[in-house]
Amino acid sequence: MMDANLKFTRHDQNETQVVLQVDGDVTIHTSPRMRDQLKPLFTATMKEIRVELNGVDFMDSSGIATLVEGLQWARLTGGRFILSGLSENVRDVFALAKLDTVFDIDSNVIEEKSA
Amino acid sequence: MTASKCIQDVSFSECESSHVGKLHLQINCNSDCIYVLRSMVAVMTTRACMEARQSNRVSIAVDELFANISKHAYGGKAGRVELETFLEVDAHGEQELVFDFRDYASVGWQGSMEEAAERSIDVENLCPGGLGLKLICSAADHCEHEVLSDGNHWRLKFCINNKSL
Repeated sequence: MMDANLKFTRHDQNETQVVLQVDGDVTIHTSPRMRDQLKPLFTATMKEIRVELNGVDFMDSSGIATLVEGLQWARLTGGRFILSGLSENVRDVFALAKLDTVFDIDSNVIEEKSA
Repeated sequence: MTASKCIQDVSFSECESSHVGKLHLQINCNSDCIYVLRSMVAVMTTRACMEARQSNRVSIAVDELFANISKHAYGGKAGRVELETFLEVDAHGEQELVFDFRDYASVGWQGSMEEAAERSIDVENLCPGGLGLKLICSAADHCEHEVLSDGNHWRLKFCINNKSL
């Protein structure tokens, strides 16, 4: 099943910055795994949590809900929560939900890769 | 017999007729082969010559509606879901892609699709299911819901060649 192929790679930039690379489809079947990977990143010492989504072509409401939880955790711990590398499809889903302006979305990663 | 010979044996008219027919699926809502839905969407959006973004919107709406039926109508338990999809021309001569869902759940959904479409998402108090309905109503050009004596009927319509994208 294609959903089972969701992969996560954690890149610690330093003691206060971390990147979680996500590759695959984020659906109702896989988003609990993304939640499990995401939640431990929100600590009092972590100041920037970046989720790199350039490997995600499809995301449903459960994936967005998980990222909304990330936003809530960031507000509790005082860290910055950034989404980057959104594909056109994923960005469109955020726009449909009218949440594209709520998140801190960084498009630089896509531009760097395509340059 | 070689593979090419098999292909030649299929007449053009038979291939052509498959492009105007309906697709019908009956599936258990807790099935592990949800990707079949995605395949049906891919076939129909290809027939409708939809662009990638519009095709993705159809996938989102169909996935979300199926998930809602599974989670809320059947409560995560097994239950029959029927899906039929076809292309049609509306009263104004515009082509549209239609998805009809039928469930046999004892729970009839009493909400309003119009309200779901207009509802703003509260990121501080995100309620389960609300975001899915919001996506369905935003992605589809037209949503209908009807409570039946033995379940629910849902209809999603997508305009083809949607210039608003």
